[in-house]
Amino acid sequence: MKLLTTYNRVNLATTIIVMLITGIIYYQAISYILTGQKDKDLVVEEQEIFDYVKLNHELPQTFESNDQQITFYTAVPGSIQREFFNTQYFEKDEGHRHHRHGGEYESGRGLISSVTVGDKYYKIQIIESKVETEDLIRLIFFITIGLILFLLLILLLTNRLILNRLWQPFYNIMGELRLFNIADTHEIPSVPTTIDEFKELNTTVAEMAARAKHDYQDLKVFTENASHELLTPIAVINSKLDTLIQTENFSDRQSNLLNDLYGAVSRLNRLNQSLLLLVKIENRLLHDKQQINLRELLEEMLSQFEEIFNDKNLNLVVNLEDKEVNASRYLAEILLSNLISNAIRHNYNGGEIVIRLTSQSLVIKNTGGPEQLEEEKIFTRFHKSSGSEGSGLGLTISRQICENFGFRLEYLFEDKFHVFVVEF
Amino acid sequence: MKILIIEDEEGLRESIEEYFTESGNICETADSYQSALSKVNLYRYDCILLDITLPDGNGINILKSLKENNHPDGVLIISAKNSLDDRLEGLNIGADDYLVKPFHLSELKARVSAIIRRKSYNGSNLLVFNEITIDLMAKEVKVDKTPVKFTRKEFALLLYFIANKGKVVSKNAIAEHLWGDGIDMANNFDFIYSHIKNIRKKLMEAGCTDYIQAAYGMGYKFSAP
Repeated sequence: MKLLTTYNRVNLATTIIVMLITGIIYYQAISYILTGQKDKDLVVEEQEIFDYVKLNHELPQTFESNDQQITFYTAVPGSIQREFFNTQYFEKDEGHRHHRHGGEYESGRGLISSVTVGDKYYKIQIIESKVETEDLIRLIFFITIGLILFLLLILLLTNRLILNRLWQPFYNIMGELRLFNIADTHEIPSVPTTIDEFKELNTTVAEMAARAKHDYQDLKVFTENASHELLTPIAVINSKLDTLIQTENFSDRQSNLLNDLYGAVSRLNRLNQSLLLLVKIENRLLHDKQQINLRELLEEMLSQFEEIFNDKNLNLVVNLEDKEVNASRYLAEILLSNLISNAIRHNYNGGEIVIRLTSQSLVIKNTGGPEQLEEEKIFTRFHKSSGSEGSGLGLTISRQICENFGFRLEYLFEDKFHVFVVEF
Repeated sequence: MKILIIEDEEGLRESIEEYFTESGNICETADSYQSALSKVNLYRYDCILLDITLPDGNGINILKSLKENNHPDGVLIISAKNSLDDRLEGLNIGADDYLVKPFHLSELKARVSAIIRRKSYNGSNLLVFNEITIDLMAKEVKVDKTPVKFTRKEFALLLYFIANKGKVVSKNAIAEHLWGDGIDMANNFDFIYSHIKNIRKKLMEAGCTDYIQAAYGMGYKFSAP
């Protein structure tokens, strides 16, 4: 849920609840005051009756007005308790005197009191209509409701406008975070805002990013240094082996051991070179960009691999169109050579390799294992199929190179062919 | 031939020295920037193997000093840095070649031979080994005046063998020389065998002695029997 929605929901609910509560209190207060007012009227009326009785020693004539009814009843002396009460006021309808109902009930307020005239004890009942009061309350109520609705509308609109603008720095920071790439040099810029929380968020995010980058850089420097330091001992082993085989007179057993050593050293060396290369690609340290005709490069490469194709009896189907790219030749060579060597290495004797180059893509298909490979795994570092003697970095490097060039490298399994597609 | 090996790593320096001394060359060594600089200023060499990462200075400066004094020594840079920039810098200043560590001694030998050939024969393109005559420019091989047709790789391989004559050259070294170290064919060197077979066949058909012998399954040796 979006912040604005949550905020609006909470805001709306609380506003409505608060408005309801205040409305009730408001209603109660107004009705209390107005009832008090009515009661005063009733007391004035009562007083008038008392005054009249005192002066004339008889009950006043009862009369009815539009909003007042006074009735007298004889009663047992002392039995009447003076009290105000809510009641119904029967409004006689002037125009429809003969109508069956002859009027309508309205809410009213009454006062029961008593008066003694001579030796007779009377109960006085004065009822006044509260209809005007209620009209007033209703009017006030509607005005209030109207106000509430208007206020809510204004709140919603301003929330939408202001919140969106207010949260803009937040969304900017989010956008920066989304673009954040630990390997590139782009830093998180400071977002212009006057709001402390966002300033803090911005600085925290920028600091975190810088720290992550720094650590990553350290790690890369370490990898590079470690690989560099390894080069010299590998070079020494290599040269000592070259010297050792000059000493001659080896038994079969010794020469087998030496062969294994050569193999291991050359693997160690390739692995180390691959690591160094990865660091270089990730650091974007290779800037020898030039126009390359991929068709020519591929043809050159295929002639290099010719003996190896023949050695494995591979059937090669090649279909190349011209395609120019502006890229590092060194990396392009590594990319092509990696993909082709994979197609050879994971092939079986007498298998097939299909290479197709168009202006949109380069497709390298090879027969091989019957199972589809897991796309996510094969591109991870040091993932190797069992029995593979590669470094486990070839596809990682290939993908990195493609990324560096702005290409896309994908793996598919189609009809017994393992397919690698480079989309330009 | 006089060769100076400037390399601070003792193991590597000794191996190179041993590999080069055997074939009648005179090798001198230097293990630091200072000793290298003093040797370079005093004596002339046919080829200098220069490690540019020395503990007490940058080997590039030795190269610069050679060029400033117009010394004609051939220079082969040995470096652990396999970066294009370093390579270009070295070659621009006037190095004759650039080899990245680790390397096979046979590769180093082949490169040094090529440099010395270019320097000393002064434009002469003929390389002669007993009855074999190789025209380096035209890339033609003759055995006692009989021309022999070689493919590009076979030609390169023959040159490699002659540069390393009398030495056992490992299959790894041959594979890397012909296909580059980018080719990672996991110790399957059967395809080298067919190249060697072809070279031997072609040479012997032209009446040449069989100089190439298999050496204990590890490699091959080019030498007079």
